[in-house]
Amino acid sequence: MLQILIYGAVSSAIYAMLAVGFTLIFGVARILNLAHGAFYALGAYSAYVFTGLLHFPLFIAAPLAVLLVAGFGVLMERFLVRPLRYSQLAVLMITLSVSLAVEQGLFITFGSEYRNVPSFVADKISIGGVDIGGQRLLALFAGVLVLSCLWLFIQRTRLGAAILAVSQDPEAAQYMGIPTNRIFSIVMAISAGTAALAGVLVSPFLTVQPGMGLLPMVKAFAIVIVGGLGSIPGSILAALLLGYSETIVAYLISSSWTELVSLVAVVTTLMIKPSGLLGRRAAF
Amino acid sequence: MTRVSLIDLAGAIVVVAVLALTPMLLNSNYLTGVLTVCAIYAIWAASWDFMSGLTGRENFGHSLFIGAGAYTAGFLATVWFANPWYSLPAAVVIAVAFSLIVGFPTLRLRGPYFALAMLTASAIMQRLCLIFWEYSGGEEGLYGLEPLILSPLHYYWFVLAVLVAAVAILTALANSHWGLLLRAIRGDEATCQAAGINVTFYKMASLMISAAFAGLGGALYAHYQLQVSPPLFSVVVSITVIIMVYVGGIGSIYGPAMGAILLTLLTEMLRGFGEYRLWIYTLTLMLILFFLPNGLIAPLWRRLAERLR
Repeated sequence: MLQILIYGAVSSAIYAMLAVGFTLIFGVARILNLAHGAFYALGAYSAYVFTGLLHFPLFIAAPLAVLLVAGFGVLMERFLVRPLRYSQLAVLMITLSVSLAVEQGLFITFGSEYRNVPSFVADKISIGGVDIGGQRLLALFAGVLVLSCLWLFIQRTRLGAAILAVSQDPEAAQYMGIPTNRIFSIVMAISAGTAALAGVLVSPFLTVQPGMGLLPMVKAFAIVIVGGLGSIPGSILAALLLGYSETIVAYLISSSWTELVSLVAVVTTLMIKPSGLLGRRAAF
Repeated sequence: MTRVSLIDLAGAIVVVAVLALTPMLLNSNYLTGVLTVCAIYAIWAASWDFMSGLTGRENFGHSLFIGAGAYTAGFLATVWFANPWYSLPAAVVIAVAFSLIVGFPTLRLRGPYFALAMLTASAIMQRLCLIFWEYSGGEEGLYGLEPLILSPLHYYWFVLAVLVAAVAILTALANSHWGLLLRAIRGDEATCQAAGINVTFYKMASLMISAAFAGLGGALYAHYQLQVSPPLFSVVVSITVIIMVYVGGIGSIYGPAMGAILLTLLTEMLRGFGEYRLWIYTLTLMLILFFLPNGLIAPLWRRLAERLR
């Protein structure tokens, strides 16, 4: 029972980090970023290169990986997405092709075999008689920390207010003197950075291989649809819901069935309440 | 849209004649095989274009229907040992059933839900094929399908005939009143709804037609390869089809079909590049998105037809 509670929290934290970045860039810039999974995979591979090959300590490797991927995201937004923003379809196509290009690039450089990332925290910690790997606890705490910081940043700072303004009405925000394009770049950096951090954190206990980004991205879609496109609290709530239901399904039935959970969740949400749990706008 | 003009018809006859006669003149089984794959990809591209090109609802999981059709053929052959000809209608039925499951909850909505749901559904189907390997054969897939027609040349002609029929039917539908409605939906969905058009019905029906041809193509592909495997469901298949449509010129049906044939031939020529092939594909797509948003083949043909007239 306690095991379900803790393992569910860990996977919820990872899902939440992915989904919040995805929903943020959609909510603010209306970019449906299909390269989000590629950021996650790039984060995991950077962790592999920095800690596994170059033997950097974690507190240098992790920020380095996050910065690298955030920079990549900003460049992608500036040079590939922005010129095509006139068409939603073109944006989808370009981000999807970036994600394929990244996957192929990783495949060509590192090969298709699984890569092992040395563990950051070797100890196991026992909570109420349940052994939890330090890795997973680290992922949980880092996830909660990052999401709370992000929440405070958006709600409490001037820049956060500007981001909120752009998300509500980009044109009006522009008239008020908010540099919308710079806001898009900043939000893209945050979104890519959180995805990369999720990738870094899971790299020691999940398999690192070129196609690793697709399935978590699909889960992020599912969470974002269930929570309501563009709503951050909705994504966190849906991440908890999905993370726990997957863990429970894995315990009660079998881990093979977990993949169905997100599909069922998406279909049910779209049938019953298409705007999602906390979506403000109706999807109709 | 204008009706199919004489010059378009003449162009189509020339292209089909060249495609049909090339393997006879060169007499190589390898080339016949490549052309068969070309024709199957052309069916997929044309069927994608009918739904997504006309209504503007981008389908990022066409491989769901392709894989559903192919696996139907695979199960019929390896589990029930049915006559291979049954697999064509069965594949169509199953693919249409899949389109109902995904389309019904998502197509009545606006926004990106349909694109996301299709991508999700195809990715999850691929995972399920690997997870339930006892039934689906896992990584290796299902083996031992029987060919529909023994002679590769005759099979190629059969596939080509299906392609011609598919393009003809889809073009006729696209040029009809019906196609006009689909284009109107792409233009402004709310206005269509206000004009009393049952938008959801038309989107759903066009998705079902699109899925039917994709599933048919999937079964043809299964009986060409004589096996089916999970990569048929992969996003790579969907994106390959979409790139072909883009090269051909979105919304023109014949353009995507030609784009598929040319790109498949190009892929065969690029085989030497091995791992870099998909990269070249992706870069092609990026270049086309930036420099040729209307595609390559359809605009070229329109200009040529204008000259010849």
